[in-house]
Amino acid sequence: MKKILSIVMVMAVMLISSLTVVKTASAEELKMTGTITKIELAADGKSATAVLKDSKTEASVTITITDDLTLDKFKDKRIVEGDEIRTKYEKSGDTNTSKMFKKTAGC
Amino acid sequence: MSGRIVAIVLGCAMLATTVQAKDHPGKEQILKDGYQGPKTCETCHPGKAREFLGTVHWKHASKVDHVDNINPNEEYGMKNRIYTMCNGNDIVNNLKEVPPNALGKTKFTGCNTCHPGDHTSDVGSTGSEAEQSIDCLICHSFKYDFSKRKAVKTKDGKIVMTQDRSTEAAANIGKPTIKNCMVCHEAAGGGAMIKRGFSMAKEAEVHVSKGIICVDCHQVKNHKFPTGRDPNNWAHDGIYMTCVGECHSAKPHGDAAYNKHTDKIACQTCHIPKTGGAFSKDFTKWEKQANGFYEPSTLKREVNETTPVYSWYNLTVSNTPQFIGPKGSRTDGKSKIYPFKIFQGKAYFNKKDGQLMSMDFAPPIATGDTLAGVASAAKILGIKDYEPVPGWQTIYFGSNHQVTPKNKALNCANCHAVNGVLNFKELGYSIKEVEKLTNPELYFEKLLKQQQENE
Ligand code: HEC
Ligand code: HEC
Ligand code: HEC
Ligand code: HEC
Ligand code: HEC
Ligand code: HEC
Ligand code: HEC
Repeated sequence: MKKILSIVMVMAVMLISSLTVVKTASAEELKMTGTITKIELAADGKSATAVLKDSKTEASVTITITDDLTLDKFKDKRIVEGDEIRTKYEKSGDTNTSKMFKKTAGC
Repeated sequence: MSGRIVAIVLGCAMLATTVQAKDHPGKEQILKDGYQGPKTCETCHPGKAREFLGTVHWKHASKVDHVDNINPNEEYGMKNRIYTMCNGNDIVNNLKEVPPNALGKTKFTGCNTCHPGDHTSDVGSTGSEAEQSIDCLICHSFKYDFSKRKAVKTKDGKIVMTQDRSTEAAANIGKPTIKNCMVCHEAAGGGAMIKRGFSMAKEAEVHVSKGIICVDCHQVKNHKFPTGRDPNNWAHDGIYMTCVGECHSAKPHGDAAYNKHTDKIACQTCHIPKTGGAFSKDFTKWEKQANGFYEPSTLKREVNETTPVYSWYNLTVSNTPQFIGPKGSRTDGKSKIYPFKIFQGKAYFNKKDGQLMSMDFAPPIATGDTLAGVASAAKILGIKDYEPVPGWQTIYFGSNHQVTPKNKALNCANCHAVNGVLNFKELGYSIKEVEKLTNPELYFEKLLKQQQENE
């Protein structure tokens, strides 16, 4: 009995872990173009969040940025509130992590 | 030998870091008196502003003597060239406000936003007003607030580029950093990494990872910038550079097998195996964006996603309406094999004379009407007799940055294996020669030894 229980436990653990794997693997990659309404840099300077208003739907989306090049552009204000941004981000639970974050630019 | 190279590289890197560390001697004075533009700098650096007015960065043009079918007495550059990476120039796409789009939104557009003047003093302007309009700090300040640099409309309807002329920005100056240069160079061609497709991030570039930056290689004297012979970078300040110079000799390898190749193969060919960015655009059809504006339709790849095309290049350029690219051959005694990114662009040609036409982007940005853009550009240029027909142009861009770590440089088998990166036949080698050049005899022993050492 004890043995069976432990097998069940192991299986349950496996099930849960495989579920979590599935969960991260299913993180969606989304795209949008929108205007920045707010930028907040973390105190340590290693991440930031930007709130974007979707140009199509007007919905607000908060995106977390961690890559140095973009963070640097926030710091010296090459990207500021009011700029229009094209972004690709990964949605996983409540966080949207930026994979690309560029100012829209014509030729 | 390789020890010496390491020492030189380290030396270059140290040069780069030590110079940056010390404070600019003018700092105290600037903090005390504030910054009134170039004349503040000129109290200690007289003549710098006037000197700058004579350079490509101000004129967006120079005389050009290595390109076919142009007038050697005229000046060419972004000011007036027409090609299909960006189908216009500073003249037809002079900074302006685009007409309102369907959503009633407008914005500013113009090629000369990448000019360090204020637009009142524009590309190629001269005189003391022009001198005082130069944005010295865009290249020299570490504390430039880029939100202060933008196109705005003044009360009397003029459009000007504003600058950060704060004391804070002026007090923190020195040699330009990568970031200073990338303000304009990163987005050349219509967006980040579009035209050149090279990254100057530490992970991507061996020199940058050692602290060597733009101005360590491009050793600027009196604001004259040395440049190379990229087939689509015509304007120059009269100083040319290659990979060979202060830091590297023409035979830099400890291994003679590589040195034997450098007479026929450019350093970039083996050391810059990948590039990226846009490889095709269609200027006759623009795509509507979520914000209601239109953009030229563009096919692009990430940096590092494009394998270059390899051609002989004797540093002179073939220039016709359909093709702008390298001239050269295996047998002319002057050519080497170089890596290029091939770009193909569709735009309108004038059926009357076969020439490529240019486009004012303001109308198509607002409405997508590309022929209205051609008509506006023709009007600006005074071209009356034309009939626009769509067609393609092929252009070659040199691949001269993003030097890969040396363990990823092309080795013997990358080229001499039967499926190697070079198309020997197209490069002019006979069937007999190709057989020899793809015979494992050439590299087998060497690579086997390397493999054993690594195992
Ligand atoms: C009070 C005098 C003074 C003023 C004002 C001044 N400088 Fe300098 N600057 C110096 C001196 C002295 C040096 C060091 C000697 C040299 O290189 O000529 C120097 C060096 C430099 C260098 C070379 C730095 C390096 O690390 O290689 C640059 C670039 C420079 N200045 C730019 C400027 C700019 C741009 C301004 C205006 C914003 C300016 N300077 C204003 C005195 C001044
Ligand atoms: C204000 C925008 C701007 C900045 C800042 C800028 N460039 Fe440029 N640069 C340009 C433009 C535009 C051209 C092309 C002009 C043409 O060909 O008509 C150019 C051309 C060049 C060229 C080729 C032509 C020549 O003069 O030899 C080199 C090399 C170059 N830049 C290097 C640099 C470096 C290094 C820096 C940083 C110190 C820098 N640039 C900063 C806009 C800029
Ligand atoms: C974001 C800055 C920027 C903008 C905006 C820009 N350019 Fe450039 N352009 C550059 C730089 C930097 C170079 C030179 C370096 C290079 O080619 O990589 C250049 C070079 C060129 C050249 C080659 C010049 C030569 O000497 O052969 C042409 C042609 C050109 N641009 C056309 C345009 C047109 C047309 C537009 C506007 C529709 C435009 N550019 C807008 C930065 C810019
Ligand atoms: C397009 C970028 C650019 C702009 C704009 C620019 N500079 Fe420079 N400047 C450079 C570069 C690059 C160097 C060489 C730095 C090095 O390698 O030491 C330099 C060097 C200098 C130096 C030190 C060396 C020398 O030649 O005496 C001074 C002083 C200087 N600049 C002043 C100015 C002033 C004043 C202005 C505005 C009128 C200005 N610069 C505008 C790029 C620029
Ligand atoms: C490791 C040295 C090195 C560094 C770092 C470097 N360059 Fe270059 N660059 C070169 C060489 C070499 C050439 C010319 C190659 C040739 O034509 O043979 C060149 C060519 C160019 C050209 C002409 C167009 C082209 O792409 O060939 C421009 C513009 C330019 N560089 C700008 C920059 C800017 C801006 C930076 C910094 C962001 C930079 N370079 C950093 C070595 C360097
Ligand atoms: C035929 C291909 C090829 C050509 C052409 C070539 N290289 Fe190399 N190079 C390599 C390879 C592969 C390595 C790494 C293996 C090695 O060091 O033996 C290397 C290594 C180097 C190193 C590092 C040496 C060390 O000991 O750390 C430098 C620097 C270098 N090359 C510079 C150049 C320059 C400059 C040129 C042009 C004059 C050039 N190379 C041309 C293939 C080439
Ligand atoms: C970038 C591609 C490239 C790489 C990498 C390369 N080669 Fe070559 N190799 C060539 C080309 C092209 C030629 C013909 C050059 C000429 O026309 O003289 C050649 C010629 C040779 C020849 C002379 C063949 C003959 O009979 O004329 C030998 C031997 C050779 N390579 C061996 C090597 C070895 C060994 C390595 C590695 C250490 C190597 N190659 C790496 C492209 C390459």
